[in-house]
Amino acid sequence: MKRILGVALGILTAIGGFVDIGDLVTNAVVGSRFGLSLVWVVAVGVVGICLFANMSGRVAAASGRATFEVIRERLGPRAGLANLSASFLINLMTVTAEIGGVALALQLASSVHYLLWIPVAAVAVWLVIWRVKFSIMENVTGLLGLTLIVFAVALFLLKPDWGVLAGQALAPAVPAEETAPTYWYYAIALFGAAMTPYEVFFFSSGAVEEGWTVKDLVQSRINVLVGFPLGGLLSVAIAGCAAVVLLPAGISVTSLSQVILPVAEGAGKLGLAFVLVGVVAATFGAALETTLSSGYTLAQFFGWSWGKFRRPVQAARFHLSMIICLLVGIGVLATGVDPVLVTEYSVVFSAIALPLTYLPILIVSNDPQYMGKHVNGRAVNVLALAYLVVILVASVAAIPLMIVTGAGA
Amino acid sequence: MILGDLLGLPVLDSDGGRLGKAADIRFVLDGAPHQLMSDARMLGIVVSPHSAASFLGYERTNLTQPWPLAHLLRWRHRGSFLVLWEDIALIRKDAVKLRPGFTRYSPALEDLGRGR
Repeated sequence: MKRILGVALGILTAIGGFVDIGDLVTNAVVGSRFGLSLVWVVAVGVVGICLFANMSGRVAAASGRATFEVIRERLGPRAGLANLSASFLINLMTVTAEIGGVALALQLASSVHYLLWIPVAAVAVWLVIWRVKFSIMENVTGLLGLTLIVFAVALFLLKPDWGVLAGQALAPAVPAEETAPTYWYYAIALFGAAMTPYEVFFFSSGAVEEGWTVKDLVQSRINVLVGFPLGGLLSVAIAGCAAVVLLPAGISVTSLSQVILPVAEGAGKLGLAFVLVGVVAATFGAALETTLSSGYTLAQFFGWSWGKFRRPVQAARFHLSMIICLLVGIGVLATGVDPVLVTEYSVVFSAIALPLTYLPILIVSNDPQYMGKHVNGRAVNVLALAYLVVILVASVAAIPLMIVTGAGA
Repeated sequence: MILGDLLGLPVLDSDGGRLGKAADIRFVLDGAPHQLMSDARMLGIVVSPHSAASFLGYERTNLTQPWPLAHLLRWRHRGSFLVLWEDIALIRKDAVKLRPGFTRYSPALEDLGRGR
């Protein structure tokens, strides 16, 4: 019974933890401009993140090493440092976007300007990281994030023409008013939103935090393989809501209030209350995960002691670096830069940086010296190499497409 | 001189012919014992004729997965070898020179590199 509960909890946490500000904004933007014609990218992204999380979780459980410890060992100091710089900066950008997302969601709930909420959000993130136990932190934000299911409920209540939606999803085409480069630019953004590198840093470091061994692999596999696809369905529901309400009205999403507008229309005040709780929980949870990820990557690369399982005094540099990251995030947001814009860029840069972490994990998950008998099977390797190609193409194509389309404008 | 200066330096034989670049430095932990581990001693240099970039660990093992990445990386570092510290004549700022009659060892680790 306890075991079933554990599995259920893990799955629910994975669903709630899947969606963050990147998924919220990108799916709504895409839904409002392209309908469901990019849903296939969410599917590709979800399979990809399942694969990546499965490999990095297995590496962490079998070898006790988290992602950046592996990268440091395999790439050597120079290439490793270049990798760290890129991954860390993009992660910092995501931290900034998530804190901005928390503040925007709190603004919607309270009508107090979001700039005033930013320090509050950042201090709350820091307090949780400093004091709260890892498993409690994970489960509370994950479970509260589940209220985002209201997007799916709202989609049903909106009584859309399911035939039209299915048509958009199953026979994808570039809408008449959009260009092909813009379509592909948003395809990459959506891919980056689903396969954000921090999820993997966090996942593998979390495995070490929770002291996983190979015995826990079955449960982790169930969490990932069931939880992430269901989380992906939430993403699709967000895009679906936008496609039903905003696309016909000619509104393309540029703010968080537009993201949740269809929920208010479909599910009324109660729905609005749920979605606000969900957005705050999802962005707050992701703010915790990204902030921890910045500490994890730095500490693992430089060989500092790290982890929430240690008291802060025993992992001083780990905690200090996270405080600095939060301060940098506050500083960036204090300039008045639009958090939604930061989010839109962060998901694309996530896609650009993805090969840097994917490749070392793929290689190490094949190495019996680390993995013992838990090396990748043949099927996993075939799929993983297919994804390597997809990830490389997305990474290389992102910058040219960004320039050509004026960042999707 | 620090280790970072040594990495990537051209490696020459005793006549000044170019053998490749110093791609990696190999250490053994057999110095004075301490609480956690013994002092490290430099065993030698891994010389790669074609590229000084990282091997991603493939020089140490005979691993061939995942295809074709492993093969690509091995091909880039084909002909690479380990020279021991004893075979190094001098280390200058711009090159490493080996003694005449140096031995080319396999860069694979003994217990893992069988069948190479």
